[in-house]
Amino acid sequence: MSATGVSAAELVFRVESAEGEPLADAAVVAEPLAAGRPAPRAREAGVVDQIDKTFVPHVAVIRSGTAVKFPNRDDIRHHVYSFSPAKTFELPLYKGTPAEPVVFDQPGVVVLGCNIHDFMQGYIYVTDAPYYAVTGADGGARLSGVPAGRYRLHAWHPSQGADAAPAWREVELDDTAERVERFVVEAAGGGLRLRRAPRPGAAGYR
Amino acid sequence: MRFRSFQARLLSFFVGLLVVVQAGGFLITNAANSDYARRQVIDSLRVTAGIFERLLADRNASMLEAGRLLSGDFAFKTAYATREPGTILSMLQNHRSRIGADVMLLLGLDDRVLADTLHPGRSGVAFDQPGLIDLAYADARGEAAALVLVDGVPYQMAVLPLLIPHHDGWILIGFRVDDGFARALQGLAASEVSVLGPGAGGPRLLASSLETERRRELAAAATVLPEEASAPRVMALGGEEYLSLSVPLPGIAGQGLSALLQRSLDRALAPFRRLQWVLLGLFLLGVLLSLVGGAAIAGTVSRPVWQLARGAARVAEGDYSQRVELHQRDEVGELARSFNHMVAGLAERDRVRNLLGKVVSPAIAEELLSKEIELGGEERQATVLFADIRNFTTLSETRAPREILDLLNTLLTRFSDVIEAHGGVIDKYIGDAVMALFGAPLAHEDDPARAVAAALALSGAVDELNAAGVLGPQPVGVGMGINTGLVVAGNMGSRQRLNYTVLGDGVNLASRLEGLTRVYGVRVVVSDATRRAAPGFAYRELDWVRVKGRGQPERVFEPVAPLEALSPRRRTDLETHARALAAYRGRDWGTAEALLADLPDDVVRRLYLERIAAFRAESPPADWDGSVRFDHK
Repeated sequence: MSATGVSAAELVFRVESAEGEPLADAAVVAEPLAAGRPAPRAREAGVVDQIDKTFVPHVAVIRSGTAVKFPNRDDIRHHVYSFSPAKTFELPLYKGTPAEPVVFDQPGVVVLGCNIHDFMQGYIYVTDAPYYAVTGADGGARLSGVPAGRYRLHAWHPSQGADAAPAWREVELDDTAERVERFVVEAAGGGLRLRRAPRPGAAGYR
Repeated sequence: MRFRSFQARLLSFFVGLLVVVQAGGFLITNAANSDYARRQVIDSLRVTAGIFERLLADRNASMLEAGRLLSGDFAFKTAYATREPGTILSMLQNHRSRIGADVMLLLGLDDRVLADTLHPGRSGVAFDQPGLIDLAYADARGEAAALVLVDGVPYQMAVLPLLIPHHDGWILIGFRVDDGFARALQGLAASEVSVLGPGAGGPRLLASSLETERRRELAAAATVLPEEASAPRVMALGGEEYLSLSVPLPGIAGQGLSALLQRSLDRALAPFRRLQWVLLGLFLLGVLLSLVGGAAIAGTVSRPVWQLARGAARVAEGDYSQRVELHQRDEVGELARSFNHMVAGLAERDRVRNLLGKVVSPAIAEELLSKEIELGGEERQATVLFADIRNFTTLSETRAPREILDLLNTLLTRFSDVIEAHGGVIDKYIGDAVMALFGAPLAHEDDPARAVAAALALSGAVDELNAAGVLGPQPVGVGMGINTGLVVAGNMGSRQRLNYTVLGDGVNLASRLEGLTRVYGVRVVVSDATRRAAPGFAYRELDWVRVKGRGQPERVFEPVAPLEALSPRRRTDLETHARALAAYRGRDWGTAEALLADLPDDVVRRLYLERIAAFRAESPPADWDGSVRFDHK
């Protein structure tokens, strides 16, 4: 039961690759179809850390309008940028946390990069949907207290590419204890993915 | 000519050998050199191909390097993010000129052209070489490079992903593969480089380091684009022979570009050609020297040999004065020396022979020379003639010795001529007497007749000489005795000094008979044996004698004349004489006298008349057989 007392559902997402492998770092959203959007959840501040030359989390899902901080936990500077249409910004070489967080007010995929570290790549999935999560290592994500009603669901994984058009799935949610929705993600053909940070001591990219 | 052909044989052998060896060597080295040059050229073409591929690979690598830098360039990404075609294009132009590329493009992930420095107006169209992008997708790093044709011009194009930081597009960088590139490669590898690509109606020449004329020829000659690296072929360009190696160039499937690497075979062979000329020169020089040297050396053999042959021919004709003077110290010189010695020996022998012939008669000389000199003789029938010159001693008192010898020699020469003319042989001269042989050492059928004829001839000769007044105021006489019988003929004396002569009773008798000529006042007295053996003459029986040392009485005769030359008068006289002799022997003195009276007066007639007168006074003993004894010689 949600705090408001409206009947709520547990929505469990299971995201898998085409080969059946559980996919972590998949953004999952549930957007109500009923007219009149419910009150948005309290705006949270988003945080994307840079730890050990890696964006943590790799994929962050935020509500549009969220301001995201980008603390640099490393003792080297980073130059965070994105040229994604949803948000083009850059945080020139900095240490610590920039004073101003970055507000992401457009839905879409924002690809983060570091100008001086080619391999640093992260994603911020900005959504208008009130209910969203990111899958864990088991490829699963749980949305609790989702009011019953009609929703469209969507899962996005970086392997689909930043421009992937969302494939919404419409569902009717009721008060069942747990509703599992399986999504199979087809990796975008031809899209190149770069590996993450090389291991310390490794000679180069490969 | 014999020797010409020896010289020719020698020369033709050696020159021929030289020609064969040289020609063989020439051909072999020629073939080996050509082969070597070819292989060298092919090797260097292969190296050139390697360099070419390497150059392309290096350029690809540097393009990708530059591209990577570009892709990571923040300003580039920022400009790109504006999505403004104009901005993007100008930025691309900027970067293109920074890195000196000939073309740069930017493509979206949908393979659409965002900016193209070659075609500035073109934007939003599909990229016309999607194969290149496919290659990039196949690569782990998303990079690729290939040769592509853009507006028919070959470009070395590199493609790499634009990362912002995610893959959002493609950066393409291209360099033209043009004449400059070909010439740069030519400068490196010293091979002619040409790039052929597909064209309507056959391969098109896209780039080349060749100059205009040869380019045209090549463009005309290229008929097919090889799919794979092929074996080197020979092509003629501008009159020179080129070895050509085709190397297919990495491109997109179906683009079919290939590089043609060429090297002038003629130029590679040039040093060998020079060598060939040198070899040819040496060869000709060798032939010349062989000819000259061979002729000279052959000459040192053939000329002397020719001289020797001519000399030998003259020697064969009897000219023993021939000498062949050669001043060589070799075998031929040795031969000439031997030849000269031989000729000298022949001359010597000839002289000795002549001398021998003079000392003894030629016939005896021949006999002596023909057999081994042995002492000893053989028994044979022979006719011996002794001729004694009368009144010669008287002659000698009135004349000088030299004159006497000359006269004697004249006479003896004449005698000798006559005797030899009749086939007789002078055995020896004994002072002013001559002993001659008929039937030894050489026998004829009619030796006795020859002897008698010779005697008559000798008598005539003496008359002639007397008549000519050659022999002095006083006429010279001659007495001859001839006997035919068994003698021993042979070499008498010692081994070092011998005489060919005859011995025996028969010889002695002849000598006695000669002595008898004085008695009967005749010139010639022959024995009965001789008379019987020479029946062609008319004889007058002189007497029946017993000579000292012989048991049997001998009838002795005087040859009067050849039968056919006998005058009737003489014949009658001979008959009368014979009857007279018969009467005498029959003791019929009267008849004998009467008959003798009819005969011309001569010593014989007077002798018999004396005898008859003596016998009339005192009768001969009862056992008187008509013979008369001579006890002295």
